[in-house]
Amino acid sequence: MTLYEKITTLYTELTSDDFAPEGTIMLQNDSDGKGDYIKEWNHPTLAKPTQEQLDGIQ
Amino acid sequence: MTISIKPTASGSTIEQDGSTILTVDGSGNITPSNNLYPKVPAFIAYNDGTQSLSAATSTKLVFDHEEADTENAYDTTNYRYTPTVAGYYQINAKVYYTATSNPFVMLFKNSTNVNRLGGAGSGALGMQGGSALVYMNGTTDYLEVYAYNNLAITLGAGASNLMYFNGFLVSV
Repeated sequence: MTLYEKITTLYTELTSDDFAPEGTIMLQNDSDGKGDYIKEWNHPTLAKPTQEQLDGIQ
Repeated sequence: MTISIKPTASGSTIEQDGSTILTVDGSGNITPSNNLYPKVPAFIAYNDGTQSLSAATSTKLVFDHEEADTENAYDTTNYRYTPTVAGYYQINAKVYYTATSNPFVMLFKNSTNVNRLGGAGSGALGMQGGSALVYMNGTTDYLEVYAYNNLAITLGAGASNLMYFNGFLVSV
C-alpha cells in the first residue's frame, strides 16, 4: 500500500485535490530509493499522521 | 601584447604577438582564426526508459542519460543540474504521460517548486512540459524536474525523445 493510499484510508474525507500541487498536503519522492514521504502537511483541520498510524494501516 | 595590421594581396590580417587572429578580405568580410562564438553552458539529459509514478506524489524525474553537458554540470546520479556559470538559463522539460489525471510537470530550484512547466487535461496520454527562464548563481543553485499525477501511472515509453530535460545559458 502506498503512502497516499494509507493517508486516504486514515482520512477518508481527503480527495486528490488535497494532494495536488496547490493543495494542503504534499507527498514527494526524490527518486533516491527512500520512497514516498510527506514533504508538507498544511491541512487546516486534519493532523499530520504519525508514523505509528501509518504503519498500523495494512 | 603587440597588435599589428598587415596588408595582404587580397586584404589584410590582424595579428596579435605575431599570430594572425583576424583576416579581412577586400570586401570587408572578417574571418577569425578561432570560432567567435563562445562555448555556452548547456546540457541535454533524457530518460529512454520508463518511470513509475505513485498516485498524488510529486516525484523527481529520472533523467539518467546525457546527450550533451558542456560544463560537466549535470549529475546523472541525482538527476540534477548545477551550472558553474552564474546567469539566466532557459530550461526545458517534457514528460510522456501514459495517462493523465491532473498532471503537473514542475521545475524545482534548490528543492523548491519554482515553476510549473506544464500540465493540463485528464484522460488521454500525451506530452506534458514546457520552459522557464531561471537565474542560477553558478555555485550552489541546482535544478530538478518533478512530475505529479492524481493516479499512479507509468511515465515514458522507451524512447529518448519522450522524456527530456535540457537548458542553456542565455545571459550572464
